[in-house]
Amino acid sequence: MAFEQPACRVCEFTLVSRLFCFSCNALQPFPLEVDFFEVLGFPISFEIKSAELEERYQQLSLELHPDFYGSAPEAEKRLSETATAVLNTAYNTLREPTSRAGYLLHLLAQKQKLDERSLPDGFLGEMFFLQEALDELLESGNADELSGMRDEMRKRQKDIEADYAPLFKRLKDHPEDSEILQQLQTHLNAERYLRRLLGRIPA
Amino acid sequence: MAYSEKVIDHYSEPRNVGSFDKSAANVGTGLVGAPECGDVMKLQIQVDPETKEIVDAKFKTFGCGSAIASSSLATEWVKGKSIDEAMSIQNTEIVEELSLPPVKIHCSVLAEDAIKAAIADYKSRNED
Repeated sequence: MAFEQPACRVCEFTLVSRLFCFSCNALQPFPLEVDFFEVLGFPISFEIKSAELEERYQQLSLELHPDFYGSAPEAEKRLSETATAVLNTAYNTLREPTSRAGYLLHLLAQKQKLDERSLPDGFLGEMFFLQEALDELLESGNADELSGMRDEMRKRQKDIEADYAPLFKRLKDHPEDSEILQQLQTHLNAERYLRRLLGRIPA
Repeated sequence: MAYSEKVIDHYSEPRNVGSFDKSAANVGTGLVGAPECGDVMKLQIQVDPETKEIVDAKFKTFGCGSAIASSSLATEWVKGKSIDEAMSIQNTEIVEELSLPPVKIHCSVLAEDAIKAAIADYKSRNED
């Protein structure tokens, strides 16, 4: 996918973020359908260094902060508010691997019809079994077994997360390969069930 | 978001919780899940082999109040119906009965899917 670098509406400097020009400090009007990678100024890719994301977010949220536009014209004031809201949504979506993978898949799979309920074979039955087992553990209050189950589920979550990067990498070489897209969707679906199960285990 | 009175009623006193032996010939089991939220629902029907009437139903759902209420209501509705009649239960009827808000419509879809899956399972193991 081509990553077009738009220019600042005031100084024509190439923009890093679609929301703000770091060269002349001008707020940028942005289209409603702006994607979250453009918002934070990263290429559309799964691999983002979290330290860089964090730094860019801090930088932008400071520059866009509505407090600095208190005496600005009404339109600028409103723009700083919507830009801040979009920035926060973008950051919250991209910082965590599973939600970033889900968002990126949504961007890349737009034209393809994926099976949104797909799961690995036998997975649903296993989740039902584990949920029932968890009921019993919660009733008995066995702390060791509960924490054992939590560790096991977290490990499986981590295993899923570890697969995102290689799958998206393969997708770069074979764009629109529906099998890879579907595999990603299956991973995301399975993760949701694990998350739900983990949510029931007290910390 | 506030739950409707009917949801609260089914949630606090769910009907027909439990399970049948899924290997019994007169039992059909439907296991479905909602990837939107990670809910898992099992609904089972017990069928009279002569009349093809659903004589009893059980469910177990791991999910939110609306998912539990939807499946609880589904077991009540299928009881006494023929499998063909039960097949025609629509999720929209569940939405209406429980006054589910738009964000909880997928819970009713799950219950409809569970009924259909249970009937399909029964049929697949009782082909004449």
